[in-house]
Amino acid sequence: MSSKPTILVCDDSILARKQLSDVIKHFMPKSNIIEAANGQEGVELFNEEKPSLTFLDLVMPVMDGISAIKEMKKINSKANIVVVSSIGTKNELKLAIEAGAMDFIQKPFSVDQIKMLLESYFKED
Amino acid sequence: MFAQFFGSYLLNNKAVTPEQLSEAISKLKQARMKLGTLAMHQGLMTAAEVDEVCYLQSREDKRFGEIAIERDYLTGDQVEDLLRSQSPDYLLLGQSLVDMDIITNTNFQDLLLDYQKDTEIYDMDIEDQEQFDKLIRKFFLVTEKNINENVLVYMKLFFYNLVRFIGEDFTPMSPVPSSEYPVNYCVSQGIKGDVAGTAHIDMPKDVAISFASRYANMDFNSFDEYVKASVEDFLNLHNGLFGVNISNEYSKEIYLDPPKTEETDLIELDSNSYVIPFVYPFGTIHLIITM
Repeated sequence: MSSKPTILVCDDSILARKQLSDVIKHFMPKSNIIEAANGQEGVELFNEEKPSLTFLDLVMPVMDGISAIKEMKKINSKANIVVVSSIGTKNELKLAIEAGAMDFIQKPFSVDQIKMLLESYFKED
Repeated sequence: MFAQFFGSYLLNNKAVTPEQLSEAISKLKQARMKLGTLAMHQGLMTAAEVDEVCYLQSREDKRFGEIAIERDYLTGDQVEDLLRSQSPDYLLLGQSLVDMDIITNTNFQDLLLDYQKDTEIYDMDIEDQEQFDKLIRKFFLVTEKNINENVLVYMKLFFYNLVRFIGEDFTPMSPVPSSEYPVNYCVSQGIKGDVAGTAHIDMPKDVAISFASRYANMDFNSFDEYVKASVEDFLNLHNGLFGVNISNEYSKEIYLDPPKTEETDLIELDSNSYVIPFVYPFGTIHLIITM
């Protein structure tokens, strides 16, 4: 994957952000990874940087993930948003999809899951 | 999973000291199940017969099975069956303690029988859900309260998640009845919805460094933001998986507050609170669940 997209990682855990960013950087070394520590920061960065792909946690302070997805979709209705959350219940999945998420990854994520997802979003031209 | 509870039983009954148990647990990964321990466990040999064969083994260049067959303690088929059989984890723990000369084979056999009588679980080879439920309910009996179904589900998952994300080398200690809890480094998370409550996980900062290193699979040397995030992540992950579990199995939906570092020095507990210490070789962590 040689693309140079901007990818937003939005999670209140600095550890989760680092782990996910490290995996993305491994498979897409040229990508520009930006990080946000809550939903509000995520929406602001989304608006400023217009990322090609956004990874988003659901349980976050200030603004939760579902609200952030709705705000991001208002800014760009075609936004590619992937939820990465520990609480992968059918109800949360339904809420996330209804809000506009494209995919849902249950924590703890595997490296292969992220690799496959990146491959599906950034197919070689 | 029975090894952790058997270890707890041994400690509670003062059969071993915490240091001895910790040393035995640390040797488990390198330990190999011995034929004599399995034969004794399956009722094919007595502790005295196993001791006798072990003694002869130290004087003759023969395997345990060969001597046991010569002495008519075992048949060839029984030896073959034992070599193929699976060894329950608690047997390995007991064997480690015997190898360390902390208990004898006879002590071990007696302790195991007492433990089975105490828990009323006689077939501990099959770790099925029903037996595990029974074990956890028994574990909480010391609080003189019957735990509700939600706490049972929560605790079962917590044991599994400790094994999965931190390591199986822990010993759960009896729940501590208490009206308040003094805080070390403590992370809490509110649970709302069909099952409501609060979960805290507490440990001293040096223990948090080791805990975080295991959880994140990284080497942390100081108590920094990554260490704090690791403890928060663990609790959040566990509670999230609990949410998935009770949603799938009981059609109950929960919502989680973001995990946060507890700022108070003392947590007030109520009658639905349980404080459970888990002893790891690197230190003790406490789960405080109110549900």
